[in-house]
Amino acid sequence: MAARKKTPAARSPVDGLIELVGVSKVYNPDRVPVHALADVDLQIAAGEYVAIMGPSGSGKSTLMHILGCLDTPTSGSYSLRGQEVSRYTGKKLAHIRNRDVGFVFQRFNLLPRLTAAENVELPLLYARAPADRRREVVADLLAKVGLSDRGHHRPNELSGGEVQRVAIARALANDPAIILADEPTGNLDSKSEDDLMELLDSLNAAGRTLVVVTHEDSVARHAKRVVLLHDGRVV
Amino acid sequence: MNLITLCARAIASMRYNKTRSFLTTLGIIIGVTTIIAIVALLKGLDRTIDQEFSSLGTKTIYVQKLELEIGLRRHRNFEEISKRPDLTVADAAAISKLPTVRAAVPNIHRDLGTLTRGVYEADECLLTGIGEGGDLTGNWVVSEGRFITRYDQQHRNMVCVIGSYVAGNLFGPGEEPLGQTLEVEGRRYTVVGVLEEKGASFGHPQDNQIYVPVETYIKYYSLPEGRASVFRGIRIEVLPEEKVPVEAAVADVEELLRLRHGLRYYEDNDFGLNTQESMLSSLNTIRSVLWLVMVGVAGISLLVGGIGIMNIMLVSVAERTREIGIRKAVGASDADVMVQFLSEAVALSSVGGVVGIFLGLAAGAFVSAITPLQAAAPWWTVVLGVGFSAAVGIIFGIYPARKASGLNPIEAIRYE
Repeated sequence: MAARKKTPAARSPVDGLIELVGVSKVYNPDRVPVHALADVDLQIAAGEYVAIMGPSGSGKSTLMHILGCLDTPTSGSYSLRGQEVSRYTGKKLAHIRNRDVGFVFQRFNLLPRLTAAENVELPLLYARAPADRRREVVADLLAKVGLSDRGHHRPNELSGGEVQRVAIARALANDPAIILADEPTGNLDSKSEDDLMELLDSLNAAGRTLVVVTHEDSVARHAKRVVLLHDGRVV
Repeated sequence: MNLITLCARAIASMRYNKTRSFLTTLGIIIGVTTIIAIVALLKGLDRTIDQEFSSLGTKTIYVQKLELEIGLRRHRNFEEISKRPDLTVADAAAISKLPTVRAAVPNIHRDLGTLTRGVYEADECLLTGIGEGGDLTGNWVVSEGRFITRYDQQHRNMVCVIGSYVAGNLFGPGEEPLGQTLEVEGRRYTVVGVLEEKGASFGHPQDNQIYVPVETYIKYYSLPEGRASVFRGIRIEVLPEEKVPVEAAVADVEELLRLRHGLRYYEDNDFGLNTQESMLSSLNTIRSVLWLVMVGVAGISLLVGGIGIMNIMLVSVAERTREIGIRKAVGASDADVMVQFLSEAVALSSVGGVVGIFLGLAAGAFVSAITPLQAAAPWWTVVLGVGFSAAVGIIFGIYPARKASGLNPIEAIRYE
């Protein structure tokens, strides 16, 4: 990849997978400015398991959107795997979301029209992976989350816990650097929550970097580090 | 995503909402059906006319008292036309001496109604006085015996040449018509020739002819006068020499007749020189009207169909906002989303196009089955139908697809 080779040598000395320096996000800058994030510094190393906590309106979601390259900071720098992505636009951000980030949302994670297997296949399709490789990866991932026999079911035929597992399988599809989970257990009963957290723990144990946004201590307890946000600042 | 995957996804998306997809494609179906059906009809019309004219003799010039036109009938003063000089056997003789003319044959006929011969009957027979060479100008093949000859004319012989319908109906099976006597309106003619079957032309039967020498005819029947002479008087069928263009022969005949009729240079022709070309030119007017109708109906329904597709795609984009957000979150670029929605619009319109092609072909086949018109759509109409419908999908799909691809992923994911 030509773009990566051109990245300046000014890399962080730390093994910083993720490095936010002075990141701010201001919504509505012209009329009534809302400072969703103010001067946030955050480093996450490869293999970390981080929980981001805070009351609603504290900027958790904004931080996650920026980490996941769904949004870009108003000011400050964000480097992911050594790439300065804070000024990327459109197609490049889509590429990073596809390759370097895996999302798990709280609800409505899966496309209702597609089967579980087709949902897992989506990131591979957008990565232009050949059909035989897609089949192989999808089968592997469904096995990994314990849903090999549910591949042909549609989301409305799956339980809440199963849907979240499929979402995790999909997040892993392109072997991303980081998994971002936004309240992944928000809609689950406690048994399913335990199962899901166990799955996430096992991923981290295998070396996967995890960032979980949550306001539940029971979830945050699984993480090895907790980042607390308040009014857009890390406290 | 390759093309096959894209098509498969687009079609799967259509099947997700079958009724809506069907209603959406209706406009396209009607538009494409119209295109195919009208082209099939026009082609059928052309083919039928070609056949009709080929049975008449493509190069034959019909010299008549009036200019003939098929189709759109101009208001004409038949009183004036009936005062024009009648065409005569002498005119025909003069024309036949032109170097560009191979044969000029006078022709006059009367309806006989039902003709009987013993126990046999034939309906709607025609008695036609004709000059020698009438088999050439009329494109006849003599299957038995001979045609009328100059000798028959000079001697006003009581002979006749009969069409296959007359031969088949007035003579019993195994009976040989040649040499037999046929009584027509109290006069007895000897059958000297039988013509090969030709079928109908412009709805008129042709095999019901009883040809006699024109001189014989004139001896027994008075020529029509007044308005009757316009259509029923003597007409002259002129066949140009081989390798002489029809126009050259037409020009020569025109000059000769103007001379014989004593016309001044500023006076219009007082006769009609009717060729396949001159008759077809008025037919072309009908054809262009039909084309206009087709373009109009097809254009309007494709436009309406396109707007329908745009509308439903906009609804679909709104309904699937969250889907678009998730797709973007897992790495779909704006272009990916654009292509996805565009391909769905094109799938809708193309399926409409394909259904329209089949309906149009069926309409053509139906017309062929119940009318003599051999309606058949040529292969390029199928290409045209597919092309038009796909183009409609692209043109009207772009706006909704752009709207989908431009959605902010964060807002799209929050959307419920």
